[in-house]
Amino acid sequence: MEEKVLALKKKHRIAVAWAQDTNTIGAIHKAVIKGFVEAIMIGKSAEIIKTCKVEGIDEKLFTIINVDNENRASLKAVRLAKKGDADIVMKGLVGTDKFLKAIMDKENGLMLPNAVLSYVGAMEIPSYHKLLFITDPAIIPFPDLDQKIAMAGYATEMARKFGVEKPKIALIGASEKMSRHFENSVDYAIMCKMADRGQIKNCVMDGPLDLFLACDKKSIEIKGVETPVNGDADILLFPSLESCNPFYKGLMLFANGELAGLIRGTEKPVIVMSRSESEKSKYFCIALSCLMA
Amino acid sequence: MVLKNLNDLKRIVEGGPRKKLVLAAAQDQQSLGAVVRAWKDNIIEPILIGDKEGIQNICASNNYDITGLRIIHEPDTEMSVEMAVRMVSSKQADILMKGGVGTSMLLKCVLNKEWGLRTGNLLSHFALFEVETYHKVIAVTDVAMNIAPNLKEKIAIVNNSVACLNRLGYSMPKVAVLGAVEMVNENMEATLDAALLSKMNQRDQIKNCIIDGPLAFDNAVSLKSAQQKGIRSEVAGDTDLLLMPDIEVGNVLYKSLVFFAKAKVASIILGALVPIVLTSRSDSEQAKYDSILLSAAACK
Repeated sequence: MEEKVLALKKKHRIAVAWAQDTNTIGAIHKAVIKGFVEAIMIGKSAEIIKTCKVEGIDEKLFTIINVDNENRASLKAVRLAKKGDADIVMKGLVGTDKFLKAIMDKENGLMLPNAVLSYVGAMEIPSYHKLLFITDPAIIPFPDLDQKIAMAGYATEMARKFGVEKPKIALIGASEKMSRHFENSVDYAIMCKMADRGQIKNCVMDGPLDLFLACDKKSIEIKGVETPVNGDADILLFPSLESCNPFYKGLMLFANGELAGLIRGTEKPVIVMSRSESEKSKYFCIALSCLMA
Repeated sequence: MVLKNLNDLKRIVEGGPRKKLVLAAAQDQQSLGAVVRAWKDNIIEPILIGDKEGIQNICASNNYDITGLRIIHEPDTEMSVEMAVRMVSSKQADILMKGGVGTSMLLKCVLNKEWGLRTGNLLSHFALFEVETYHKVIAVTDVAMNIAPNLKEKIAIVNNSVACLNRLGYSMPKVAVLGAVEMVNENMEATLDAALLSKMNQRDQIKNCIIDGPLAFDNAVSLKSAQQKGIRSEVAGDTDLLLMPDIEVGNVLYKSLVFFAKAKVASIILGALVPIVLTSRSDSEQAKYDSILLSAAACK
């Protein structure tokens, strides 16, 4: 990903809301040093400078805007993006709900008209042979059909940025069978037919599929299920936030997975990460946002 | 094997033992005409139940030679239907046919819990058309029985029809789920059901056939029109069975094929213990004859 971003030979301006914490400053600093980012740090300037000193980082590398509370920091970051003075908005130490409120504000926010706001993540998993894109672990609790279609579109767009021309999307369920007990299987069947008919483009789609059939060729052989995804999924679309979220966290905790993710549906890329996320993860997110900008 | 025309059904019937067809309330000129003709052509072995004198009079005045034909005298219409149904459920006959009796009375007896012909399956209507402008016969369901089938009923209707086509020699009939458009449209229920049926078929939850839908009528039966629209489908342009979204569409299609396209048609009721020939009074004697032929070919 780093290579792809550097190949763009472009510096993106990132406005960071409430930028006082070590992980955020560390990640931004790395991106600035690599040369693909210009940073606008919004927050209590004294604290930002103090953190930089502690970490041995030259604060003169950043533009610092002094704001004394987290709501105003979020609003300021959004306003900069809206005016064209920033290309990307990033959440620092501010709470996600407060930050998203500024993003989703009808008049001054960054929402595209009628767009579905959703989250796509790219996961690097040592035991999987390629990047795996997942959606939605963070924004939509129970996506309906239209939201699922939008999610598939965002994930496809991201995979294509990584050079996967026709990503294979697995629509994840507990089983590959259609069942009236699993309402999502109904949406999935409808989406597959829409993909057949070219109403959903640029991807190969199948579902419901369980995780094994989506990502494991051996399971395909054993079960004898014919599917174009064929155990080689690029994208996993989950039926709910509560299924996708533990999936990525489990992989991070137990399988050395790394996640970089972004909010989609906005005029400009928006980086939202859990405050506890590592510096490395935050750095990947910054690189990803530059790629998607 | 694919049937080019209705006459091809004879190939299936020939050589096998003749099926016993029981005609309920047999005192009906058109039914008798078709049954006697099918008997003479060695397609079936008829048993006539009804008013013996009435039957004999009709045959005499129409020059139907029924020498040697088995007739059971039962002047009461309802009793004659019950007797016919009981003959089938006790395995003394292979096919049930409606004569001069209303459909509702016949179905009431068919659905009788003690001695009827229930199997637990939904009853559905199956029609087979020979149209000059199509390269083979085309089956259509359901044009006469189920009014507005839901998904579960559509599955049952497809299963009935596919089982029948399998018996007619189609190992993997191509099933088109009809819509007004070939695209999925959330405002058109039929297109959503079509997507679900396709997926269930892919997952082997509906077996022994290839299902695709939604397909508009033109891309279901014309390869050229499917290609123009860029539809990739094993079914488009080569459909064996058309599944109707509801009875209005089905009935109008059925009648327009017959009246405007001069199609020949054979039809039976599926889902009971045996095929039921249940043609309407307005069907021609030829249609009744072809329906008898179809019922004999569709017997297990």
